[in-house]
Amino acid sequence: MSDNFDHAIVAEFAHPHLERPEEREPLGVLFWICVGWIALNLFGAIFANVLPLQNPLYQNYTLINAGPSLHHLFGTDDIGRDIFSRVVYGSRISITAGVGAMTIGFGIGAPLGMLTAYRRGRFDTMVTTVMYALLAFPGIVATIAVLSFWVPRDLFKIIVVIGVASIPIVYRIIRAATLSVASRDFVVAAKVQGASDRRILFKELLPNVAPILISFLLIGIATVVTLEGALAFLGLSVNPPTPSWGNMINEARTVMAQNPWLVIFPSLALCLFLLSLNFIGDRLRTHYDFAEVKL
Amino acid sequence: MSEETAKLLVVRDLTTTFATLGGPLPAVAGVSFDLNKNETLGIVGESGSGKTVLSRTIMGLQQRTNVTVTGSVLLNGHEMVGASEKEKRTLWGTEVAMVFQDPMTSLNPVMRVGKQIDETLRVRLGMSRADAKVRAIELLELVGIPSPQRRYGAFPGQLSGGMRQRVVIATALACTPKLLLADEPTTGLDVTIQAQILNLIDQLKEQLHMSVILVTHDLGVVATRTSKIVVMYAGRIVEMGSTREVFANHRMPYTRALLDSSPKITNPSHTRLTTIPGRPPNLLQLSDGCSFAPRCAYATERCRAERPELTPASEAGHFFACWNPLTGAREVAAS
Repeated sequence: MSDNFDHAIVAEFAHPHLERPEEREPLGVLFWICVGWIALNLFGAIFANVLPLQNPLYQNYTLINAGPSLHHLFGTDDIGRDIFSRVVYGSRISITAGVGAMTIGFGIGAPLGMLTAYRRGRFDTMVTTVMYALLAFPGIVATIAVLSFWVPRDLFKIIVVIGVASIPIVYRIIRAATLSVASRDFVVAAKVQGASDRRILFKELLPNVAPILISFLLIGIATVVTLEGALAFLGLSVNPPTPSWGNMINEARTVMAQNPWLVIFPSLALCLFLLSLNFIGDRLRTHYDFAEVKL
Repeated sequence: MSEETAKLLVVRDLTTTFATLGGPLPAVAGVSFDLNKNETLGIVGESGSGKTVLSRTIMGLQQRTNVTVTGSVLLNGHEMVGASEKEKRTLWGTEVAMVFQDPMTSLNPVMRVGKQIDETLRVRLGMSRADAKVRAIELLELVGIPSPQRRYGAFPGQLSGGMRQRVVIATALACTPKLLLADEPTTGLDVTIQAQILNLIDQLKEQLHMSVILVTHDLGVVATRTSKIVVMYAGRIVEMGSTREVFANHRMPYTRALLDSSPKITNPSHTRLTTIPGRPPNLLQLSDGCSFAPRCAYATERCRAERPELTPASEAGHFFACWNPLTGAREVAAS
């Protein structure tokens, strides 16, 4: 029995040269185009009032429903306002709503999800039950109900309502992502090396959950921008004449036959913004998914 | 009392019971053994015999709910059973460390391997960033990783399985533990690498004056590297003693069956491996008798009705639990 291993011979077969290089596929041109587009949108939203744009509320009655021209890049609407300027100003509301609501949703949902997935036990059961109960309630109905009664409506209230409504969804996704990581041996290994809970959460779990978190955050922002559009379409977003992509589309609905540009440009802006965000989120997820692929 | 002080680990009547939907499941039942300083103990048994639960209970690693642990685990004078997380955190790493089964999952995939080692050094030993890096590279060198400076910055995914297990061992050794618990440290590795890793653990044990508990289902692994063996079946110790005694002079039919079912290099090729008939018992429906009785060729009525306790054999420190023990080589010689 004791002769089963010939250690000296076995040791000769050490092959320490097997090493995989640190290689990763480049993100691709399309990814950077999308990043550029989002950056441009953000730039426009932040600096809208500094940029040489026309007043989005100024009504030029001598030029209504004009098509795109050099002076009015996207044309003018049915009461003579510059559509380009309104689309840029509109991005402010839409993007702020998306980023703001997701800040609330992730700010509360993500830490809670990670904590319960790591701690488990009674606390987890309690929080998860509450969250699932909230999930069972249709979010859009709740959002509409609250926004109908909570007047006067402004952007802040919209952000709070959508943000709070998104907490259970964020919670569920982050908890599930953390659960799959928290059961791995390296978490136990860190623990038996004497790492504190906080250290495990931030140093061991967070970096592993981060790719999912970031890609879902981007998709979440895109979803909220759409949702704001849907609310605006129902007349439940910011009050006119303040432009947002959603309420521009809503207003354009009635004059679509006379001036299709009025609906095309804000829709295009919304569409490209969402497409870029989704693509970036998706690309990042596959790019950083080496936790699963390379192991 | 000099013998007492030489004992690093004293386990007494340790029982770990899981509350399941089917009732209480005693994964470890009434286990007692001692481990001396600088000694290597092998815990063997087939899958489901309670080896892993036993080693996790010794570590003090239990789920937070649905599990009860009774008995005592005295580790270098510290009681692990019932200790708070905070107390255990001060013992983990410095008194006892663990090497896990699967090196593929026991390293954080998104952290550079060097960082995983110096995290521990900085948190536990309060080392500065620079000192910790130097020490981490030393540790990587100690566990036989070539060009440790370069490997310090590698991600686990860039290393082979054997290298990863070396890193895991380096991490475990970071705070120079007195006891190293290796739970099937070679299961996920090629046979050649297995031998390397086991030899490494052996060599480090000598070098760092540690005690080692080697949990395995492979008797070939424990044969040359342990001084004592504990054989487990259905959560209980069925035989224990010095490695020599257990191999040469075993009394419990289960130990014999385990030995018979490991391949021998002296057998002609194409010899069929002997297997133990039947399956390990369902721990939820244990009989009052010996748990091995249904699979045992020597079982009698008494075996099925009454559980045998551990009884001393002729050599000191050798115990077995059997009503119809095999005649060991020593007994044959005596008669």
